[in-house]
Amino acid sequence: MLWPGLTDPVHDSQRLFRQILQAMSEPGTLHNLDLDAPPEVAPIGAALWGALLTLCDLDTRVWIARELDTPALREALSFHTGCRLADDPASADFAVVTPTTLHTEIAFATGSDEYPDRSTTLLVSLDSLNDQGPWQISGPGIPERRWLDVGDGEALMGCLARNHTQFPRGLDALLACDARLTAIPRSSRIEKCLKEDRSCMSQ
Amino acid sequence: MNGYNFAYLDEQTKRMIRRALLKAVAIPGYQVPFGGREMPMPYGWGTGGMQLTASILGSDDVLKVIDQGADDTTNAVSIRAFFQRVAGVETTTATTSASVIQTRHRIPEAALSHGQILVFQVPIPEPLRFIEPSEQETRLMHALEEYGVMHVKLYEDIARYGHIATTYAYPVKVDDRYVMDPSPIPKFDNPKLHMNEALMLFGAGREKRLYAIPPYTRVESLDFEDHPFEIQAWDECCALCGSETSYLDEVITDDAGNRMFVCSDTDYCMTRRGEVA
Ligand SMILES: [Zn+2]
Repeated sequence: MLWPGLTDPVHDSQRLFRQILQAMSEPGTLHNLDLDAPPEVAPIGAALWGALLTLCDLDTRVWIARELDTPALREALSFHTGCRLADDPASADFAVVTPTTLHTEIAFATGSDEYPDRSTTLLVSLDSLNDQGPWQISGPGIPERRWLDVGDGEALMGCLARNHTQFPRGLDALLACDARLTAIPRSSRIEKCLKEDRSCMSQ
Repeated sequence: MNGYNFAYLDEQTKRMIRRALLKAVAIPGYQVPFGGREMPMPYGWGTGGMQLTASILGSDDVLKVIDQGADDTTNAVSIRAFFQRVAGVETTTATTSASVIQTRHRIPEAALSHGQILVFQVPIPEPLRFIEPSEQETRLMHALEEYGVMHVKLYEDIARYGHIATTYAYPVKVDDRYVMDPSPIPKFDNPKLHMNEALMLFGAGREKRLYAIPPYTRVESLDFEDHPFEIQAWDECCALCGSETSYLDEVITDDAGNRMFVCSDTDYCMTRRGEVA
């Protein structure tokens, strides 16, 4: 069964882009992306599929982590977007991953000091995503701080927190569970808060 | 529509600009290169801003276009008519009713609210260009945060005039990292950049650069301890609405050279007059 594309490519991609833009400019806010979901057996949910349909085309390279890599996803991506699939994560504009993928260090592109935009954007498939949880983020786009629960987040947040030490180089991430999406760009500062006393530890 | 795609630009160009916009909000104040397209207007007409507007605009948006604060100049009217024709969007002159505002040289007086997007037309995106003509060199200066020359330039003003003479395109530092040109807005508008609730996007058509300030982002105007940043102030108030807090333009009222001061933001001024009446 072929995965669904956007019903109205021009207006649907505009609407989804505005939600993704708002997510990236207001890190930690949750957005529900409304589109036809990929089949139940698919390794990614509606929100990540919507982001791929909105952002990818002939000019983009996508790297898919082994645990998400299925012939159906590859076929659907190529058919609907025409994007190229990358073998080398360092050449990828987008990388579709899970938190487990990030347990091993992978050499994604983080850009250069002169061109920090030449970097990979992570599209992270999560088992759970809520706006109350142990991860505190602050920085541009956030009035004071926001909280996130991303499920098994240690490796993921560790990877994103490293952005802070190499800014402006770094990785931006769209994180999604089913139709729900949030973003953590490289400008966000990440801390883990212990439940008992809400004191925070810098990552 | 007659042969045009929605909002004029083809979908592949929009996607390329959209991907660049995501980088821009992720690295506030950093100039992202993009493969700009020609727009059916000359460069001085804000083609950079127009390409950003065309890439974000949806059929349910309400668009406002201002030039120097006014909705009724040739530039503002043409751009508004263009998007009405190619995107069929609703337009407005009311700052508070607009979801997207494209602007040249002003930030509206009315406080912007969460969810609004302000798109700036930018003639020269690089704040260091007048010091260093080479793009390679200015990139390196940004990479190394080598901004001393900018302070030297401002300090030369103080030495010569006793104060900082720069009144337009006054450089700012975004989230304590990138020095950024806020486009030729009066420095009066600079404090509005700081922790604004709206998303601010900047597009330069000729140089094909775009950059952004996300909502709730710290933005400081460069200054010195002994010469803190100050905005313009007037002894007069607006001759039409009596505002003592808005940015004023001096206009000549007759052949005898009589003059008066009026709000540069026409929507703000008319709204105030409507409320007073
Ligand atoms: Zn007035």
